[in-house]
Amino acid sequence: MIAAKGICKFYGSGENRQEVLKGVDLNVSDGEFVVILGVSGSGKSTLLNILSGLERADSGSVQYDGTDILRLSDSELTKFRKAQVGFIFQQYYLLPHLSVEKNVRMGADLAGNRNYADVIEAVGLADKRKKYPGELSGGEQQRVAIARALAKQPKVLFCDEPTGALDEGTGRQILDYISKLQKSSGISVIMVTHNQNIADMADSVVRLNSGTVLEVRENGKQKSAYEIGW
Amino acid sequence: MVIGIKDALKFIGISIVVCCAAFVCTLFLNYNLDLKSFGNIPDAAIPLYNAQLSMGKAIAAISGCGLALTSVVLLVFYLKNYINAHGKQLGILKAMGYSRFSVAKHFWIFGLSVFLGAAIGFLAAYLYMPTFYRVQNADGLLPEFAVRFHFELLLYLIVLPTLAFACLAVLYAIWKLKAPVLNLLRENCTKTIKAHKERDESFLKGLGSATLKSKKLLIFLIAFSAFCFSSMVQMSLSMFDLASETFAWMILMIGLILAFMTLLMSLSSVVKGNAKTIAIMRIFGYEYSVCSNRILGAYRPFSYVGFVVGTLYQFALLKIMLGVFFADVDIPVYTFDWKALAVALFAFVAVYELVLFLYAQRIKKLPLKSVMEE
Ligand SMILES: Nc1ncnc2c1ncn2[C@@H]1O[C@H](COP(=O)(O)OP(=O)(O)OP(=O)(O)O)[C@@H](O)[C@H]1O
Ligand SMILES: [Mg+2]
Repeated sequence: MIAAKGICKFYGSGENRQEVLKGVDLNVSDGEFVVILGVSGSGKSTLLNILSGLERADSGSVQYDGTDILRLSDSELTKFRKAQVGFIFQQYYLLPHLSVEKNVRMGADLAGNRNYADVIEAVGLADKRKKYPGELSGGEQQRVAIARALAKQPKVLFCDEPTGALDEGTGRQILDYISKLQKSSGISVIMVTHNQNIADMADSVVRLNSGTVLEVRENGKQKSAYEIGW
Repeated sequence: MVIGIKDALKFIGISIVVCCAAFVCTLFLNYNLDLKSFGNIPDAAIPLYNAQLSMGKAIAAISGCGLALTSVVLLVFYLKNYINAHGKQLGILKAMGYSRFSVAKHFWIFGLSVFLGAAIGFLAAYLYMPTFYRVQNADGLLPEFAVRFHFELLLYLIVLPTLAFACLAVLYAIWKLKAPVLNLLRENCTKTIKAHKERDESFLKGLGSATLKSKKLLIFLIAFSAFCFSSMVQMSLSMFDLASETFAWMILMIGLILAFMTLLMSLSSVVKGNAKTIAIMRIFGYEYSVCSNRILGAYRPFSYVGFVVGTLYQFALLKIMLGVFFADVDIPVYTFDWKALAVALFAFVAVYELVLFLYAQRIKKLPLKSVMEE
């Protein structure tokens, strides 16, 4: 269970000081699929970074089962991330000097997961295992980032535009895989997206607008990745 | 255009090296020129006169050549790094249709870092010169003579090096910009990777060698800086047996400054070059010590190789130089200086580990996001 309260975040100083998050509250229960929607620049990526302990908020608290991660020391935060979270970044952040397989193993080895090959296969990159990120297309790189996060078998998965670079077919396939994993292993998924349709798959939908939560909507009936529009 | 004076200032390492070289060379060459202008020297002073001329030549040659070479290597390394880091901007300019030369010509500005160092060293030398002349003639054997300004030194020690380095920078840039636009635009290390066999081992196990392979330049830099450190410190320490104490102290100071500078710079390049990888690993939950051992630790053996080569090099260089310049002068026979080796090795290990430790403290404090977005 994740409970975020009153999260504020400022960037810049002096005249350039900008309040990017203005007291955001958010609750995510175990095994929940949450989608965060909002226009570009509304603070979605910043919110994800704070929820996952990558960045510290200027005020507020982020509690995981009662532990406030904003109060953890850096080494405690590292342990926390190792045990709990997986990331799929908007900019991928692959290690360019390592092959696809090694990039995925970076996540898998942390969790002692020996079945990383299955994950690579699930994102459709089995034949590109030995390639390097620079030799892949944008969408393929995104899928490596996805495989790396999933191979880590996290308890909470943070995804920032995980299908932004994918075509409809591949996008649906990946979303289907993520949602099946979410249901079968009971992980929580927090996903940022521009695609309104993906919201139909979620348990709840959060609308963010210039740093404040506009609405939180519970989804009565979730659709599968192949039922949503695109 | 993308290159400004600010970028030239980043090459401060070169300025410092050049500054030391200019200082030493100006001092000794000016003294030698003044000394040579004497018509008749008292018989009693002739041995001293000869010894001082030879010493001046030897020191100017050793430090001049050694440091000039060091700065050429540093310049090329810096430029390569600069072009890698700004590959995107340069690639965009090229893609828009700017010719190679029209982009590369702006690289002349890096000659300024040489000018800055040389000018400061030159000035400092003339400020120190009256004292130096007094010390050189402390016994009063030579007739009194005043410091004279030699215009040709200005030309050889400031103007020509500046022009030479400016040209070198432009030529190097022209050569590097020959790369296809796409290679410049892409991230620097992706293009060179050949399909080498990757063994089936855990992520951490293969990490060190993959890191080394991706940035071979850094291996060279680390080895080179260890080479400089070991040769400069040992050579400076050996001076105490070979030259007068004033000389020895001066050389030691300069040697130490240079040794620390090069080592510091190369370590900071290594840390910066791998900061992103470390940041990504830490995001996933790898501890800093693990990342640092696997990634930064991989460079350590190369630093020791550089150290050993530097030790041999300085021994050979001193042996040869002393043979050439002091053939007819009576100085103690030069043998390998074990004490200097011990001191240099201890200093090297201490500085190396201390710098890495301090960097670790700094990296740990940086927000992960800021490291990645650089
Ligand atoms: N490091 C930073 N320094 C200063 N401002 C920043 C920084 N990071 C983000 N911002 C600002 O914070 C605001 C929110 O950024 P954020 O990346 O969270 O937006 P987003 O909702 O993810 O947008 P997008 O959909 O385009 O990815 C933006 O206006 C951006 O300019
Ligand atoms: Mg974003």
